Formats: sequence, structure tokens, C-alpha cells
Amino acid sequence: MKEFDVVIVGGGPGGYAAAIRASQLGLSVALAEREALGGTCLNWGCIPTKSLLHSASLLTQIKAADGFGIAVEGVSFDLEKMVAHSREAAGQLSQGVKQLMRKNKISVFEGEAEVIAVGSVKVGDELLATDSIVVATGAVQKSLGDIAIDGKHIWGAREAMTPKRLPKRLLIIGAGAIGVEFACFYQALGSHVTLLEVADRVLPTEDHEISGVVGDALAQQGIELRLGQGIEGLRSNKRGVEAVIGDERQIYDAAVLSVGVQGCLAGLGLEALGVEIENGFISVDSTQMTNVPGIYAIGDVAGAPCLAHKATHEAMIVAEVISGGGAHPLEKARIPGCTYGTPQVASIGLREQDADPTAIRVGRFPLYANGKSVVSGHTQGLIKTIFDRQSGALLGAHLVGEGVTELVQGFAIAIGLETTEAELISTIFPHPTMSEAMQESVLLAFDRPLHL
Amino acid sequence: MPREIYLVKVGMTMTEGMVSEWFIDDGAPVSKGDMLYALETEKVNLDVDAEMDGIVKHSVAAGVMLAPGDVVGYIFGPEETIPADFAGVQSSSAPASTQSEVPAETVAVARDDQLSVAAVTAPSASEAAQGASGNEGSRTQEGRLKASPAARRLASELNVSIDKLHGSGPGGRIVEADVKAAADKGGSSQTQAVAARRSDPTNVSPLARRIAETRGIDLSLVQGSGPNGRILQADLDHLPTQASAQKMTPVGPSAGSVVPVRGMRKTIASRMLQSLQESAQLSMDMTASMDDAVRLRTQLLKEWDGDARPTYTDLVIKATAKALVKHPMMNSRFDGSEIVLLEAVHMGLAVAVPDGLLVPVIRDAHSLSLKEIAIESARLANAAREGTLGLDDFAGGTFTVSALGMFGVNSFTPIINQPQSGIVGVNQLFDGVTWEGDKPVKAKQMNLSLTWDHRVLDGAPAAEFLASVVEFLSEPYRLLL
Repeated sequence: MKEFDVVIVGGGPGGYAAAIRASQLGLSVALAEREALGGTCLNWGCIPTKSLLHSASLLTQIKAADGFGIAVEGVSFDLEKMVAHSREAAGQLSQGVKQLMRKNKISVFEGEAEVIAVGSVKVGDELLATDSIVVATGAVQKSLGDIAIDGKHIWGAREAMTPKRLPKRLLIIGAGAIGVEFACFYQALGSHVTLLEVADRVLPTEDHEISGVVGDALAQQGIELRLGQGIEGLRSNKRGVEAVIGDERQIYDAAVLSVGVQGCLAGLGLEALGVEIENGFISVDSTQMTNVPGIYAIGDVAGAPCLAHKATHEAMIVAEVISGGGAHPLEKARIPGCTYGTPQVASIGLREQDADPTAIRVGRFPLYANGKSVVSGHTQGLIKTIFDRQSGALLGAHLVGEGVTELVQGFAIAIGLETTEAELISTIFPHPTMSEAMQESVLLAFDRPLHL
Repeated sequence: MPREIYLVKVGMTMTEGMVSEWFIDDGAPVSKGDMLYALETEKVNLDVDAEMDGIVKHSVAAGVMLAPGDVVGYIFGPEETIPADFAGVQSSSAPASTQSEVPAETVAVARDDQLSVAAVTAPSASEAAQGASGNEGSRTQEGRLKASPAARRLASELNVSIDKLHGSGPGGRIVEADVKAAADKGGSSQTQAVAARRSDPTNVSPLARRIAETRGIDLSLVQGSGPNGRILQADLDHLPTQASAQKMTPVGPSAGSVVPVRGMRKTIASRMLQSLQESAQLSMDMTASMDDAVRLRTQLLKEWDGDARPTYTDLVIKATAKALVKHPMMNSRFDGSEIVLLEAVHMGLAVAVPDGLLVPVIRDAHSLSLKEIAIESARLANAAREGTLGLDDFAGGTFTVSALGMFGVNSFTPIINQPQSGIVGVNQLFDGVTWEGDKPVKAKQMNLSLTWDHRVLDGAPAAEFLASVVEFLSEPYRLLL
């Protein structure tokens, strides 16, 4: 039996970050991973999909090059190469994590882990003894009723990011971030995409106004939006899938199931130890501890929002807590979120529909009035800021448009530092950048715009 | 070299204490063996003797809380001159210095018959360190920094790194003036920033500053919870606004004189609150017939003729000790996961003293005769009132008896002395009534008030225990067996 101060189960952006931080704090750390370091995010999520979306975006730009005075003829693409590049990027980064583990003297154990008792984890044939167990196993895709991913015509995210050939007609079930990203990718490559969503809008967790902008843009690109409709039945046959939507029967070459995720708990043995699980996720307190002392959980398996950066932040907290230090608990209202569709969406904090309209000030600056957006031709979009009417506190920011995922961090810092409109207005934003639109949005909220 | 007078450490658990009285005035001569100062800790008071002849200089006024090992003054030898810039006396009450390590030689343990302890002087090796470079002159050979408590406090307030200062006090000791000079020099911008923050905090989020302005909150009174103590919006949420605070004033009670909570009062306050918070206490009363006990006591007073004077409390102690042997669950300690039954009965005896309450312990009460208990309880009660109890007299109680009968009390709910499981309250003897058939008969009676820890045992066994005590008192001749 080997002994460690901490045993971390799962090597994703939560687990590996917790391992590094715990090691920096002087603890001996073991990390168990059954597949590949980097977890879903790096191997089967954020990273490979961003690679595919970058390819699709390049293709779209090349097709539009004529408008910028560049003649390009005979444009074509190679799906296999696109996928290969995305796998390469994932592989390279996973290798990088491996090196980080080595550099930080973290013992990595490959295999399925089982928490057999408080303080005792089995990985393969290896028995690890420890004071603290961190469960960072991430999440798995949810299935929908009796519709199961078969890997042939009914795809999950993994199949959707490693297509062998392009489906002519593609049904995407669920218009959350993952569904929207796949819709944009396949639409850009020329598939006819139908995007089905039970809610009455795409990206239903975003600010309603932003969802509306995205919905319009997707429809404009030719994506068939079927909102407020659920799937009644889905059957795989030899040539594709037959879907029942309302009274209609439709045939598609493939369907992608993207209706959310649930905590990855199977085989861990946590239920037997009495760890509290609610709606498929482990319940934790503000120090990431479960109801069983000595067992912690971070990242997706510890509940929504299922985002890599939330997992990494919780990893910092749990490492500090286990090493005996204090940590500021995570404030969920301060977790930004990004969706890499066309256009992109980035947001943080309060949504307008959740606020008392008399208690807030809202600024909306359209990107068509921003110089940098005009020259690059990405004028579709909006930057929206929400302030507390009384205190002037920045409560939320919602951005839609090409490139906004790189902007939202400015607002994240502003909210984190508790700035008011005064600091944002007195800050000098460089010209010509898209970031000027951020300041214009603030100015608009206080009825003093310059460029509108 | 003047010799340092330390705040003596008494017992291993002493964390703070004070000079409650200087017997030798500042600047007055003292002879070796004279009583120098009175030490008061949360547990004991004792007198400390002078170690050598000389002139006494105080560096701390009476009543200032300090950590054991802190210097409270100096004795200057007959040939030594007292420097003109000798550090002034610190008079206001200050938090105990965090520097609490003490040279081993200064540790003294009080014994009941030997309550005055020699003040131990600094190791002479410190003199050898004098003249070394940097602030080495301000360190003893063991590396302990020589700095006055006032200097340490001021340094922490002004955020001056005291270990970088050069001491100008006696023996290279760092005094307040050194810290002030360093702060005034503004050697570090940090010092200035911290000094400035004391009046107008700078580490405030813009939002918190704006809210504070509109609500009239004095930010210098707010404790920040953000990174590096940054004051955030949330830190203001639970504060009353100044306006509402002012509104409150006329209806609130106006403050009279203030009694500082320190020493014994502080200990009692925290122990009693802790006891109620940490255990499941409840109380019950039971009445004992005391006619026979009154007769027995009268006989014993005659028979022992001044050798020992048994009190009713002594009878209760003896009865309780016997009952504890019969009901061992009550003589126990609750440990969270287990209940530890204790073999010996060490009976705590709550004694009221002028400024508080002491609970000395009658050791092995279960094996002492009633006479031995009477003698020991009298000794402990006297020592408690005279302030001459030693540390051993307090140690290891397993159960407690507390008497309020002499104040006319008929029933009360005593608080358990942690980590014990019970306490018996002794009430006044009164003329009660018993019934002989239909005829009321006057009878001497006494209520016993038991508080016990429900985590350890339930009502039924607790009642059985109390019934045993009552039974022994009602048939008191069994107490002589």
C-alpha cells in the first residue's frame, strides 16, 4: 500500500490543477486517471471542438475573402485532416499535462479508481492510503429517455467531433453551448442542420436578448431552428435516423444528442460510503467538502456550471483547504461562460430577465458602430452591460459577436474588483480595438455614448 | 547591565498574565528576596521575589496583559546608571505579545506551600551578544529578540519589521522610540501605506467605497474580507448605518463605568459559555430528609472537637462520592466517540472568592473518610479565599459539588465543569413537612440540584444516581462506614 497526503481521482482541468497546487503547497499527491490526462475538456471537449471550429471559421473567411479584395478559387476542405488536426492538438496538450505532472512530482496511476473507504482508494491493483480524497471525475453525456447514443447514426459529442464523412442532413438535439457549436461547425461545412430545442430559444441559459441575437444569426446562416419542440422518437436504421418531431417524421443522416451532462459517478463506490448525491452530482460545501469528512469533490462532478475554468478554480480552493489554508469560496455569479458558435457568446453575472428593471441600468452597444468590427466585417453582435442603478456596481455583462470570448475577461476583472461605472469610464481603452465597444456599452448605460 | 524582570510562566498552560501590583515603586531600591510584584494569571495569583539588589525600573504598568516571558522591568545594579532615555511605562491594556517563548530557566511552577517564585534573570550570555553588528545586539544568544512589549505592539500596528531594527534601550533592547523612528523615517512605503490606512483605508473596492459614502459608514472601522484584507461590498452588508445607529442611541442603555474582563473573570466567562455550548445539560432536584444528618453533624462536631468541623456540604460530598462509586457512568468524561469511565473520584468544590469562583479538588474523595473530607475541604476553601491555592489543587476533578445553600437558595441549575459529566448543587436546609399517616410533621429537609450531561446518561439513571445521594444523606450513618 502506498501513502499520499492527497489522492485525486480524475486528471481533467479540475484534477490535474488540484494536483499541481497541492504539490506546490508541499503535499504528496497521487492522481488517478483511467483514460488520458487533461480529461474531457482537453481530449473530448473544449480543445478539439475549438480546433474544428477554427477550421470551419477559416473556411468561412476564405469564402468571404472576395469582399476584402482577395480572389480565391477552387476552395475545398478535407474533413479527415480537420479531425486529425484537432486530435493532434488534443494529444499535444495531454502530453503537456503529463510533463507538468512529472515536473511537480505527482504520482500518476493509470486505471479505474474506486474509493473503497474513507482514506483508501484502489486504482487497478494498486491500493492508495491517504488523508484526503478529491473526486474530480467530471461528467458524462446525459441520454434522453430511451434514446441511446449508438455511435453509428446517433452521435454523442465524441462521435460528432470525429466524423468519418459529412452528414448531408444533420439533426442536433439540444441547443445549449455544445449543440450550437456543432450546428455552426456542420453548417459551415455544408451540412443541412436542424437544431431542435425544447426551450423557446437557443442558448436558453443566456440572457434572453443575447439568445435572440444568436437565434437570428443561426437562422440567417440557414440552420433550421425548431424551438419549443421536443423529440418524440428517434430510431437508427441502415442509412440514417428517423426522427419523430411533433406529428412529423423526418429522415436525417445522423443525429447529435447534446442535452446536457451528469456527474461521472459510476464505479466510484461513493454511494456506499454515504456521500450525498443530488440530481446526479455530488453535493459539496463552500470548501468543496462532501458530507463525508475527508472526501472532497470539484469540477463537473460537484455540480453545474460544468465548465473547465470552474473546475480549475475549485481545484485551487480544495488544494488550499486540504493543506490547511483558507480559501475564498467560489462565487458562482462570477464565473464567465463562453460559447464558440458563429457568432460567439460570452457572459458573466446577472441576466437582464432576472433583474428588477427599475433597479438596473442597461447599456447595449452594437458592434456595427465599432471601427475594428467594421473593418473585419464582423458587425453582427452586441455588448450589453448591466449596472445597479443605485450603487453603480457592474452586475453583469453579456457579449455576442466574433471575438467576444477574448473580451469578457475584462468585465470579469471589473466585477471581481467590485468596480463601478466610474472606473470603467475613466479607464483608457485602446483604439482601434473591439474593447472600445465594452466602454461604449458602459457609457450607454449612463446615457452618455460617444459613438451612437 | 541591568537584569531583566520577566513575567514568570506558571504551569505549562499559562498563555497570558499580568503584573497585578508592583510592590516596589518605579525607581525604588530593592533587596534580593524582597517581594517585587504580584503575578495574576487566569488560574493563580502569586508573588514574585527580586533576584538581586538594585534599583527597580518598571517597563510595564500594573494591569497590562502580557505573554509569559515578556519583560516587565529591570533591576539596575548599584554601580549602574539608569539611561535618561529609558523606555516609558506602558499603561494602557495591550493584547498579549505573540512572542511567547520563554527561556527554560524562567519557567517556574507554583506549589501550594511555596507560592513565591524567584524572578529569574536573563541569561548572562546576552551580554556577550552586545556590540555585534546589525541588530544582533538586540538578540539573546538563543536568538530571542529583545524588544519591549510596547515596541512589539507598535511595530505590529505600524507594520514595521521589528527584527530589522537596532535597539537603543538597555542592553540593545528595542523600545517604542526605535519603532517610531523607523516608521517616521518612512523607510518602507508599506509602512506609510499601512499608517495611512489606519485613518482612511485604501484597500477598498470602488463599490464598497461608494456604498460607504452613501450610507455614512466609517471604513476605518470595517474589517475587509477580500484578498489582502480588501474591503468589499459584502463587508458592509451586516453593518448598521450610522443613521440607524444614531437613532438607536436614545433608547439604548447609557454606559456607566466599565469593568474590564480579564484574569479569572475572563476564564469563568469562556469556560461557562463553552460548557453550555458543548454539552447537553439539564437539571433536576430531589429532596433529602436531613433530620438524621443534622443529628449526626451535631454529634460529630462534639466528638471531633475542633480537629475537624464537618459542614453539610462535606456530608453531600461524601454522599456524592459514595453514590458515584455506585453509579460509575456519572463519574466520566464524554469524548465524542466514547464515554471514558474514571476510576477515582476527584471531587471539585466550588468556592466563591471576592472576585470570582475557584474550584479546588479533593483528590480521591471516594477513599477518604468523612473526617478527612472535612479537613481537606476546609483547607482548600481557606486557601482559595486567601489566594494561596497551588496548581495541583485544581487538577483532575472528575465531578463537582457547588453550594449556594448559605445564600438561602432552594434550587438552581449549576453548570458542569468541563469535561466532567455532572455537578451537584447543595441548597439550604429548611423546615419541611413529612406525613405520618394523615398527620403533618415538621422535618429538616434539603434539596439537591443535579445538572448532568444527557449525552452520557439519560434521565432515569441520572435520577437513580441522585436518589442514591439522597438516600445516603437520609441515612447518614452509612457515610461513616
